[in-house]
Amino acid sequence: MTDGTVETRQDGVGRNMQQKPRNPGALMRMAEPLLWSLASLALFVGAWEFAWWRGWANPLLLPPPHIFLANLPDQFRFFDPSGARAGALGEGGSIWSVLGVIGWTALRVTTGLILGFVLSLATGLAIRYFRIFGKLSLPLVTMLAPISPVAWIPVAVFVFGIGNPPAIFLVFIAIYFVMTLATLSLIDNVPRNYIQLAQIMGCSKRQIYRHVILPAILPALFVTLRMNLFGAWMVVLIAEAVGVGSGLGQVTMMARNTFNASLVFFTMTLIGITGFLFDQALRLIQRKVLWWVGPGNAGGL
Amino acid sequence: MLGLSIKNVSKIWNADGLNPVPAVSNLTLDVAPGEFVVLLGPSGCGKSSLLYIVAGLEKATSGSASFDGIEITEPSPDRGLIFQEASLYPWLSVRDNVTFGLKIAGHTPVKRAEAAERLLKLVGLANSGDKRPHELSGGMRQRAALARALAMRPRVLLMDEPFAALDIQTRARMQQHLLDIWESSKASILLVTHSIDEALALADRIVVFTSRPGRIKAEITLDMPRPRDLRSPEMIDFARRCEALLAEEVEKAFKEQELA
Ligand SMILES: Nc1ncnc2c1ncn2[C@@H]1O[C@H](COP(=O)(O)OP(=O)(O)OP(=O)(O)O)[C@@H](O)[C@H]1O
Ligand SMILES: [Mg+2]
Repeated sequence: MTDGTVETRQDGVGRNMQQKPRNPGALMRMAEPLLWSLASLALFVGAWEFAWWRGWANPLLLPPPHIFLANLPDQFRFFDPSGARAGALGEGGSIWSVLGVIGWTALRVTTGLILGFVLSLATGLAIRYFRIFGKLSLPLVTMLAPISPVAWIPVAVFVFGIGNPPAIFLVFIAIYFVMTLATLSLIDNVPRNYIQLAQIMGCSKRQIYRHVILPAILPALFVTLRMNLFGAWMVVLIAEAVGVGSGLGQVTMMARNTFNASLVFFTMTLIGITGFLFDQALRLIQRKVLWWVGPGNAGGL
Repeated sequence: MLGLSIKNVSKIWNADGLNPVPAVSNLTLDVAPGEFVVLLGPSGCGKSSLLYIVAGLEKATSGSASFDGIEITEPSPDRGLIFQEASLYPWLSVRDNVTFGLKIAGHTPVKRAEAAERLLKLVGLANSGDKRPHELSGGMRQRAALARALAMRPRVLLMDEPFAALDIQTRARMQQHLLDIWESSKASILLVTHSIDEALALADRIVVFTSRPGRIKAEITLDMPRPRDLRSPEMIDFARRCEALLAEEVEKAFKEQELA
């Protein structure tokens, strides 16, 4: 570091939390990722607009951003904030209604993610902790893992009907089995040293799980969660489009049915931005709460 | 009998597998209370295996190890182990690492804070209690690991090449440090090393191992006071003897590998 900020940094692990940017150099470094994100987006939008300008992209089917973002209130009216139904009716029409719809979708994703994270962690720990339980359930988990969440849609609707529960259930299913298997592999890769030390310090099996294995695997497990985040987003949109009857997925589906290309792309924009923000939020949590690095975790993530 | 007693211990890794690896063969060794014994031997000769058996982390294939006359069957805070890499828990502060064992033993936070202060001062880390392990240098980490082991007031310290990853200067300081701590704690120490100089600087008794499977090739007793001048004629003489003993075994190990 050449600009005088004191940084204790080791292979991307040691992020110092108390550090405040103290000079323009530090500010620049913080703003840099944002600038790159904007540049990346601008490149894409530019190419699209260019294609429209040259007449390659049919504005009815592939309306460029300046068209589908032109008349926002016109788009807004398709969003019903109550979360019950999306449609051209209802009390939609303001930015709040849009945020409301996004909020409902985000809530479903978040609930599913939390449930999936906690329960897969618990299952993974239990499989390794209780031998017989593990032997009985591991084959089942491995068999269920490859089934696409889409195949679970009918099950979700049979069991939970219409509304939030089936969507949450599908998000949950999308990450639960994968994350359970990830938990197992992380447990198996906890450095032997860590466990042997705990044994020497007099830890019981339960204490080893609680004080050593759990903190050792949490960071890497959280990275796995982040990697599965987008999968969860895709599933919630499908669930909303097919069965739930509200949310961003439903708006997209309705736009498709009414050949409203502008609305399709507007909704896709919203989905992209929200997904991006979700990822950023998870990164932030990871950095603040789970700053240490677990086994099998690449430092760059 | 007081102290550590290793009787006819053999260790065969993978004993019922396709290629069993005999690591320790019929080894007998006693360590008296307060004695500093250094195990010196070529790489792969089974020194770590022996240490793990004494720690109670691995079972001997035959023979037995006992401590104060009681057979060793499982790990115990009485027998502290220090690994080559410090392996502090990265999610705990240095202080919490040092007092981890006390927490498990149910000591109150107040008691733990007192112990932490005393121990960190003892190993020269008084100002580093709040740091995270990754913020420490290699030498500091090893000292923290030492403090963590000492927190349990072990009767024996088992050290597996504890200073191997350090530069020569840091190493020399750590050795001096260890000697000070050893003298005040009255624990026995069983320390594994590759370094003849380290063995000469520290040991009451050097146990030279043969190549794999490890047996005792020679024992050298050193009763000179510490700190020792390794450049004195007497010490150079000892160094030559150790070198010759080791060279033979390394030669043997290489020949074996060529044959295999
Ligand atoms: N957990 C294990 N499983 C199988 N084989 C092992 C295991 N640990 C050690 N061995 C084998 O036992 C032999 C002795 O290993 P050990 O680690 O005890 O040697 P060492 O003297 O400590 O060597 P070094 O000085 O290189 O650390 C080696 O051939 C090694 O491959
Ligand atoms: Mg070894």
